[in-house]
Amino acid sequence: MIRKIGITCAVVLLLGLFVRQLARPQAAITTLSIWSHEADEPAKVAVRERVAREIERAHPGVRVVITWYDSEGLVVALKTSLPAGQGPDIFYIETDWSDLITDGYTLPLDGLIDWNTIYPWARKPWIYDGKTWAVPQEVYTDELYYNKKLLANLGFTLPPNAQFSQEQFLALVKKARAAGITPIAQGVGDRNYPGAYILTQALLHKLGLNDYGRLFGGHLSFLDPRVVAVFRWVKELVDAGAYPKNFMTLKLAESHYYFYQKPGAVMLPMGSWYTGRAFVPEDEGGQPGDFPLGIMQFPAMDDAACNECKVRAVGSSFAINAATPHRELAAEYLNAMSRPEIGTLWIDTVHLQTAVIAQGSASATLYPGYYKELMARQEGAKYFDIDPSDFLEGACLDTYVQVMNSSFPGGLLSVDEAVRLMNQACYKG
Amino acid sequence: MASRIEAKEDAGIPRQSRDWVPLIVFLGPALVVYAGFSLFPVLKTIYNSLHVMKPHNVVEFVGLGNYRSLLTHDEIFWKAVKNTALFSVFGTVLDVGAGFLLALCLFAKVPLARFWKIVWFSPVLISYVVVGIIWVWIYDYNWGIVNTVLRWFALDALAHSWLGDPHTALWAVLATQVWKWAGFNMIVFMAALYGLPPDVLGAAELDHCGWLAKLVHVILPMLRPTVVSLLVLSLIGKMMVFDVVWIMTRGGPLWSTETVSTYVYKRAFDWNTFDLGYPSAIAVVWFILILVFVALLTGSLRQRDKLEY
Repeated sequence: MIRKIGITCAVVLLLGLFVRQLARPQAAITTLSIWSHEADEPAKVAVRERVAREIERAHPGVRVVITWYDSEGLVVALKTSLPAGQGPDIFYIETDWSDLITDGYTLPLDGLIDWNTIYPWARKPWIYDGKTWAVPQEVYTDELYYNKKLLANLGFTLPPNAQFSQEQFLALVKKARAAGITPIAQGVGDRNYPGAYILTQALLHKLGLNDYGRLFGGHLSFLDPRVVAVFRWVKELVDAGAYPKNFMTLKLAESHYYFYQKPGAVMLPMGSWYTGRAFVPEDEGGQPGDFPLGIMQFPAMDDAACNECKVRAVGSSFAINAATPHRELAAEYLNAMSRPEIGTLWIDTVHLQTAVIAQGSASATLYPGYYKELMARQEGAKYFDIDPSDFLEGACLDTYVQVMNSSFPGGLLSVDEAVRLMNQACYKG
Repeated sequence: MASRIEAKEDAGIPRQSRDWVPLIVFLGPALVVYAGFSLFPVLKTIYNSLHVMKPHNVVEFVGLGNYRSLLTHDEIFWKAVKNTALFSVFGTVLDVGAGFLLALCLFAKVPLARFWKIVWFSPVLISYVVVGIIWVWIYDYNWGIVNTVLRWFALDALAHSWLGDPHTALWAVLATQVWKWAGFNMIVFMAALYGLPPDVLGAAELDHCGWLAKLVHVILPMLRPTVVSLLVLSLIGKMMVFDVVWIMTRGGPLWSTETVSTYVYKRAFDWNTFDLGYPSAIAVVWFILILVFVALLTGSLRQRDKLEY
């Protein structure tokens, strides 16, 4: 009997505590949700999480939750949740996901963001119909990295403008292959663009900014003699053994390792976000501390319209969900991420250019010479502000991936077949 | 009890209505789940296939337009159909055949049978992502084990970029698929073999029936239901193959490993367009084809005379 009374009292007590807890006024918790790519780049994660904690400190009662995805998973998650009126308050976006903007899933940010801290050219790719739809964080240029020691061993000296002619470049490829060294460490096992670096840069040089845009916009034929000439030159490189034999299956991260570790290669064309993988400790897959890294210009084409042209593009950016109930708070997060001191932190820790007009210099960081050389390669350059894989769509994009990114540099197609397939899919007449 | 029923009947509730109550109670939840998660998506896909789906639920009716484009203009779709057909036919035969041979080995009590059973079955337990990555490495031109072995036997000329060549890529992926699923078929065949009546097998031996004759005239006819089930299951699985292809080749090179499923995915999510109508049309056409093939296969292999033993 006493036991029963005891149990009853305990139950009543617990019930009372439970009811009291329910009745107590709870501090309202607002959750700002962010979906981001680049979980595998710790320096970028640290920057974004740091800004999240700052917002939480500034707004008691606000939680900022960042969910980390890989790129493909994020695309699928966004493309299924946004049409259902769901999804996060803020999401990571790249310039080739522009359908998320044109289809109305993002909020115009012109009046919400302090654009004084963002480079105007980096804002430009996000302007559609006179409105700005995303805040760029990362910007990059396409660069041709090389191993200074291997280049010297092969008997080549880079000219003062750091740019070989197309004949010199072909000779370099042939000599490297003859010496049993892979000339260009490149693979397309998990990406739809790296195989096209040499080809697209050569096209950009040969055609210049305007005609290059017309070519991929479908208004210049791939049968244009200048285009065919570039394809023929690249075919010579391919036939000379420019790329690794496992080009078709080599993954992006593996191509970095291939370049600076094992087996080693002379060159690696890559976005300047190369640093995200290379400038990490060696035991985490980074380049050796004493690796003789250099940056050269992509080769100059004969009779070129613009050998000083480069591709510059906006990388990781963030947009606000048009359906968010927290637009002010979301804008505050993006503004906080675009502060000059965060820009400096980005350069110092991610070792990559940023869209934010940063304070100070990155010259005192772990890789002091690198940033200086990168800036030197960009001096006097004229820029095409987007990669083809970022703005093509439909059958043209699919053909670009299959032909220009993989099968043509992979040696599976003749010049005639390649230009015919590209023309068929992309040229609008 | 009898008097209670009589009382209800007396209360004017007809017996037929009362019979529906337990039916609804027991079948209702399952039917709701089926309707929500199977029937509705199928009907919605058919509906989508007749429209161009624009964002924000804006739909534009195009009738059979998507089907017309698909069947008359889409070269990649037909490449995908060809690849999927090859993959399904050869994959099914090899998969089931290999499983049967492995099961026979174990049934014949080869040395270390328990060990081999674990070894052969373990690929089934590995996720497709891991299997895909392992086999991409196995096929790697520079350091993959296939080319290393060839070079070791001084067959350097045969070393090859197995996944990088349109002529070998599909077959390389197919070999991976067979490696993964042969163990599953082996286990099913093992269960069926051990379920065979020992007196029939014993009688065959008494009649001096050789092992091949016993296999062809005794074992295989008795295993026919198992074979048919495995063939149908395997065919359905391979006609919908996606994971292993996506991980290993993403449909390349030059669409040589593009399957209908990878093509649907690309059209839905990779082409930088939001239209789900066209991919839905592909899905509907393929659904009908799978249905027809399965019906034909089941019909042609159905056992007409019941075995008696």
